[in-house]
Amino acid sequence: MTYLGQVWAIVHKDLTIEFRTKERFAAMASFAVLVGLLFHYALDVTVVRPQDIASGVIWMTVIFSALLGVGRTFYLEEEDGAMSGLLHSPIALDALFVGKFIANYILVAMITVLIFVVFAGFFRLNFGGHFVALIGIVSLGAVGLVGILTLFSAVSSRTRMGESLLPVLAFPLLVPVVVYGVDATTRILVGRPLSEVAGNVRMLAAFALLSIMAGVVLFRFVVEE
Amino acid sequence: MTPSLEARGVVRDFSGFRALNGVDFSLYAGELLTVFGPNGAGKTTLLRILGGGLRPTKGEVRLHGESVDVGDREWRRSIGVVSHQGFLYGQLSARENLIFFGRLFGLDRLEERVAEALVNVGLANRSGSMVRTYSRGMRQRLALSRALLHEPEIVLLDEPYTGLDAHAAGALRELLESLKDGRRTVVLVTHALTQGLDLADKVAIQVRGRFVRFESKDALPTENFEAFYREVVETAVEAA
Repeated sequence: MTYLGQVWAIVHKDLTIEFRTKERFAAMASFAVLVGLLFHYALDVTVVRPQDIASGVIWMTVIFSALLGVGRTFYLEEEDGAMSGLLHSPIALDALFVGKFIANYILVAMITVLIFVVFAGFFRLNFGGHFVALIGIVSLGAVGLVGILTLFSAVSSRTRMGESLLPVLAFPLLVPVVVYGVDATTRILVGRPLSEVAGNVRMLAAFALLSIMAGVVLFRFVVEE
Repeated sequence: MTPSLEARGVVRDFSGFRALNGVDFSLYAGELLTVFGPNGAGKTTLLRILGGGLRPTKGEVRLHGESVDVGDREWRRSIGVVSHQGFLYGQLSARENLIFFGRLFGLDRLEERVAEALVNVGLANRSGSMVRTYSRGMRQRLALSRALLHEPEIVLLDEPYTGLDAHAAGALRELLESLKDGRRTVVLVTHALTQGLDLADKVAIQVRGRFVRFESKDALPTENFEAFYREVVETAVEAA
């Protein structure tokens, strides 16, 4: 069995269970829509221009939605001791991490698209010709976000505090995603040229790479006893 | 003849607490060892070490005379583990569960193997049902099927009878009997004295992390085993 075959087995299993139960997707999607709705009523658009604050709101919604969904990724394995079954199999532990990461990323990517649609509707945002660039920036930021959340959800699932520990552990590490992601998104939304966001994109790419490398290297220390 | 599975002076400490205190045994291919012992004797710790979930603090495990790293991925190809938990996904069907675990082991002819495995445990007609709809007995049969799918030469059974009614326990017993095909070496940990003794070729009584008895079943008073077991445990506890 190749490494990629093991990764695929995890991705396929997690997504099959998710598409069947829709537990995590439903929670994430409900949260995203409700946040959009609440901000729609909370903001006075005669005082605040939506495009001035949209990037921050969109990023925070992506992060909190991801926290809801990715935070439960290892609870799938707790039922009936399935994690022990994985650890008794010859799966490479980094393949387990990568498989979980990819399945989570697909879930977060779907929610991100929904968040864009929701916020475009509620705030009447015009993404104009930069829609692809915006999706690219958020997708890149989401790699780092999902990498960190996947690793730390493994940590939190093995503690008594469980999911409540995840934001405490993960949020300090997500500051780069917020800083560079929000800045790049704001510039795009106010119509600045793409060349202005190149630095932010490089930082997001570096953070994405680091978060995946950290997950691949550290995951075994989290799950092995 | 070289033993199939051996433990030599296996010790395991947890933050100053010694859960295993020098466990030794040898088993030949085809033998089934039943380990009895009171709660807290370290039986599950022993199985977790043999199953690769823990490394021993001291001592070694040998397969066909060769020392093995129980944390190694290759070791996990040699073992199959059944516990009181099934290690199954309730939201997948029986077939999907077996396909998933088969993929992790990189098995060839996977569809064919899975179909055979489900027939062997009498679940072929429910292979498409979600495992969450299964009874405890059906889950345990499926768990056994999962553990044997890659044809391991070492099978580890941790309290497989837990939560089973008499009918389900009988069905499981028949399946466990079928493991004694001369090829596999089996270690069974259980509190079920009668069922454990029936299946055993060798019997160990573990108290406070040590085997205080390790004998062939023939050398034990099988007629009055419960009284014998109690006496051995009480004597060992008083002596400790």
